[in-house]
Amino acid sequence: MAEFVQLLFNGLVTGSILAMAAVGVSLVYGVLRLVNFAAGDFMTLGAFIAVFLSISKGLPLIFSVIVAILGICLLGLALDWLLWKRLRENKAGTLALFLVATGVALILRQSILMIFSSGSRKFAINETATFGFLGAQIATSQLIVLLLATSAIITLGLFMAKSTIGKDMRAFSDNASLAAVSGINVNKVVRYVWIINGILSALAGIFQGMVQGRFDSTMGWTLLLPIFAAVVLGTIGDAYGALLGGMTLGLVMEMSTWHIFFGGIPSSYKPVVAFATLGIVLLVKPEGLLGVKARSI
Amino acid sequence: MTTPVFELKSVSAGYGDVQILTDVSIQVPANSIVTIVGPNGAGKSTILKSIYGIAKVTSGEINLHKLSGESIDVRATKPHHLADIGIAYVPQIDNIFPTLTVDENLDVGYKHNGGTPLQERKEKLYKQYPDLVIRKKDRAGTLSGGQRQMLALARALMSGPDILLLDEPSAGLAPALVDQLFDELVRINETGATILMVEQNARRALEISSYGYVLDMGKNRHEGPGKALAVDPEIVGIYFGKR
Repeated sequence: MAEFVQLLFNGLVTGSILAMAAVGVSLVYGVLRLVNFAAGDFMTLGAFIAVFLSISKGLPLIFSVIVAILGICLLGLALDWLLWKRLRENKAGTLALFLVATGVALILRQSILMIFSSGSRKFAINETATFGFLGAQIATSQLIVLLLATSAIITLGLFMAKSTIGKDMRAFSDNASLAAVSGINVNKVVRYVWIINGILSALAGIFQGMVQGRFDSTMGWTLLLPIFAAVVLGTIGDAYGALLGGMTLGLVMEMSTWHIFFGGIPSSYKPVVAFATLGIVLLVKPEGLLGVKARSI
Repeated sequence: MTTPVFELKSVSAGYGDVQILTDVSIQVPANSIVTIVGPNGAGKSTILKSIYGIAKVTSGEINLHKLSGESIDVRATKPHHLADIGIAYVPQIDNIFPTLTVDENLDVGYKHNGGTPLQERKEKLYKQYPDLVIRKKDRAGTLSGGQRQMLALARALMSGPDILLLDEPSAGLAPALVDQLFDELVRINETGATILMVEQNARRALEISSYGYVLDMGKNRHEGPGKALAVDPEIVGIYFGKR
């Protein structure tokens, strides 16, 4: 029982972080048809900025987090202006966009190393502080991250469901040409996508850094495959699907280490578990968890 | 003839160097249904595409004359602003947002043309389409073919348009639904909407039209009141085949 509670809790934490990152990737893909290979490095950079300001510069953590979020939003908007907008206007294909994104990912990761120097980082939080809950030992930092991530996800869900721009974004992601003839402002939607992606990636990176304890410049990169798996699992381009996919994979990955499954699958196999889950779901439901089968009229 | 709501004046248009339309003129009077018919490849769809800048207009005028007396040069208007000025378009396929709910499809279609608030316009449409009220919270992708077409029309009407452009609205619908669709278009027209449509199902479309144009090889070939064109033996023989 204690082990189950522990793993369930870990799963919720991992799941909420994956979900946040996955929604960002899903929105960017849905609206821009861009597979953002640099998504993991956006996260890492967010965490590095926050740690740099709060630890090296001694600024308050909350302030550092806000600056990190602003930084990643600006990075997204700047890259759009510099690269993606031009590639869109020249009608670049998905493969071209993907390759450029891979280049961006590499440049970002190396820039993080150059600017902040190598070596691992750590937020000034005590991740060894725990409390007992139903026999399990829960880290206080994890609980805080879970609460914050959950509120971020709920806020995001409400924003996507209720706000005009949220609906416009989902409409655009669904059917870009119909959105354009319906008078939805493309440029505005694109700007909002990068802002929301910036908020989500920076927060996901910071939360992951806090939960992990120590992290280095490869933190986001290592998470990229489970994030992509979450996006596809929840039906690619569907923001709600990405939330569901992230939570599902987080839970499955952590739960797979439970001893009742073949004595517990080694934790280094978590990404394998993620992809096995993805494979099984896609075999049964190729359109993803929330996908609607294409039907003719 | 009074000033039409919408008109194409000697429009020539095409793609790249290929000219498809030559001096095409179409007039759509207020509160009318005007249908453009013609054989495949006549350039029917290109007319709608030229309004949206997808086909390049090389000469001629496209004008919207609003009831307020204001005239707007459509060629000088960016495609994504056409909904704002009062032109609504229902594409032939992919004309709904499948992962949005029925209700959200209507929300994103809203433009405040004429100043009616969103809720008011939505309630009015729900009264017209009781089928959609039942499916309000469902994702639009789960609707049946007929319901989808109704939603596509309702979404377009949410913008409070001066003119509704329809690209082959009956294409792909089951025969029983085709009749239902044309009845619906008459009903929409009776509530005050002006409709310009391109149709493959020529006879049926012309029967409900106040006026029709027959297009051939990218040029105006015939025109006249819809009912007369629908039974004109020459046109029936040449373009519609014997059915």
